[in-house]
Amino acid sequence: MAEQLIDFKVFRYKQGQAAPTYETFQTLCDENTTVLVALQDIRHDQDGSLILRHSCHHASCGTCGMRINGKEELGCVVKVLELGTSTVTVEPMRNMPVISDLVVDMGPFYDRFNTVGMPFIRQSEFMDEAEIAEGLETYTRCENCIECNLCVSACPIMGSDETYIGPAALAATWRVVEEPRGLRTQPLLDWVDSENGCWRCHVAYECNAACPSEVYPGDKIMALRRDLTKRKFRGLFGRGRKD
Amino acid sequence: MDSTMSRRSLEQMAARRDRSGSLWLIQAFSGLLLVIILGVHMIAHHFIVEGGLRDYQQVLDYVSNPVVFTVEALFVVVAVIHALLGVRAIITDLRPSAGTLRAVNWVLVVFGALTIGYGVYLAVALQQLAG
Amino acid sequence: MMDDIQPTTDPARPKSPLRAWFDLRGRSLSTLAFALNRLTAIGLTVYLFLHLAVLSLLLRGPDGWDSFVRLARSPLFLTLDVVLLFGVVYHMFNGIRVALVGMGVANRQQKGLFYGLVGLAMVLFVVGAILIYTK
Repeated sequence: MAEQLIDFKVFRYKQGQAAPTYETFQTLCDENTTVLVALQDIRHDQDGSLILRHSCHHASCGTCGMRINGKEELGCVVKVLELGTSTVTVEPMRNMPVISDLVVDMGPFYDRFNTVGMPFIRQSEFMDEAEIAEGLETYTRCENCIECNLCVSACPIMGSDETYIGPAALAATWRVVEEPRGLRTQPLLDWVDSENGCWRCHVAYECNAACPSEVYPGDKIMALRRDLTKRKFRGLFGRGRKD
Repeated sequence: MDSTMSRRSLEQMAARRDRSGSLWLIQAFSGLLLVIILGVHMIAHHFIVEGGLRDYQQVLDYVSNPVVFTVEALFVVVAVIHALLGVRAIITDLRPSAGTLRAVNWVLVVFGALTIGYGVYLAVALQQLAG
Repeated sequence: MMDDIQPTTDPARPKSPLRAWFDLRGRSLSTLAFALNRLTAIGLTVYLFLHLAVLSLLLRGPDGWDSFVRLARSPLFLTLDVVLLFGVVYHMFNGIRVALVGMGVANRQQKGLFYGLVGLAMVLFVVGAILIYTK
């Protein structure tokens, strides 16, 4: 495939600016050019003030989350020409404050994760022959979360109320509840059994669609709700446990 | 995990628990109940009586049936609860302040009680009119 | 008691609930389901209270009611009835899906449930709409 000149309509915003603007840059892309590389080219050749965030270039660090043509994606794995549009619109993730251009403040995102206690063990840490812990189907679960924030950006409820705990932290909570390894899970379950917790989800499943790492946060939220529903019914019929 | 959780005590996390889960479950079960009641309500009103249940006398005769009366009264109660819990859910998604949400809760409870009272009164009054 | 999650503000992008809930560009089928559920919910809530208010005409004797019924048979009202029927059947059948999935029942089949239940709702809607205009 020959190189093509592609328009990049890029969201621009600097602190103190009244409102964001969009600036269009043109750059040559071939079949291997990813959106992240194209943006780096623009920054290198055309405008050094264009701010973006990235690290690994292969979808394992989760730092280059952005919205490409209105969809939450990791810029490093989306090939420009495969998008099939002559103009590619690039915007920062939603539901976290913009610091500059394509970079959002991830502080509120990590705050929620800290609450859950970062209980993550990645799938790659397990050898194929490792025994799967009792009660688990496979290890392909929240261990896979790369903390990219795409699910939070895509969630329509976060869009109207950013004090919702949100899909990523709820998925992480389920991970602890599912395999507590001796930890007391009741305080975590109480934390998500609240106005800002798992009951705020309205089953739009944008988090599942946005997740680049097969965490399926929507399913984890529903697993939490199934667990809490069972506990509530047990409580209703006098068989609730006191923690 | 305990070291990373030191930022907030477990007690503070546990204190976040509230009634929203129970309210959601009431919303879900009242909804499922409405599927049955509203199904009966609509079919009975529109498809059983030839030409639909329409003129004054037909309506009164219909409500005077004790089974219908019970179904309709139950319908008002369940529908109002389901509707107002839905209104509350939408308002909650708009991130009201804690004070505003408390006020909203009270307004919805009073409004709901008045509506249910009016609905049941209407059903009883119509039954008496049919008399 | 401290709030465990602080609200944030984003001067670059003011919050817009309407856009968050109803702007479907780039969104999945399940968000369409959610947006329609919310729209029909608002419509049905307004209708419920209007319906209860209209029924008070019955207390004022046959004249008020029967003249209302004549009005309700006009083509405009019948069209509004069709819109109402759509709201009822959609909210009802998608609601079954939301209730089940929201309790963690068949949540992995939520898309299949959408096609099955909302498909059934649309069949009932078409049949009902035909009956409204013909009966």
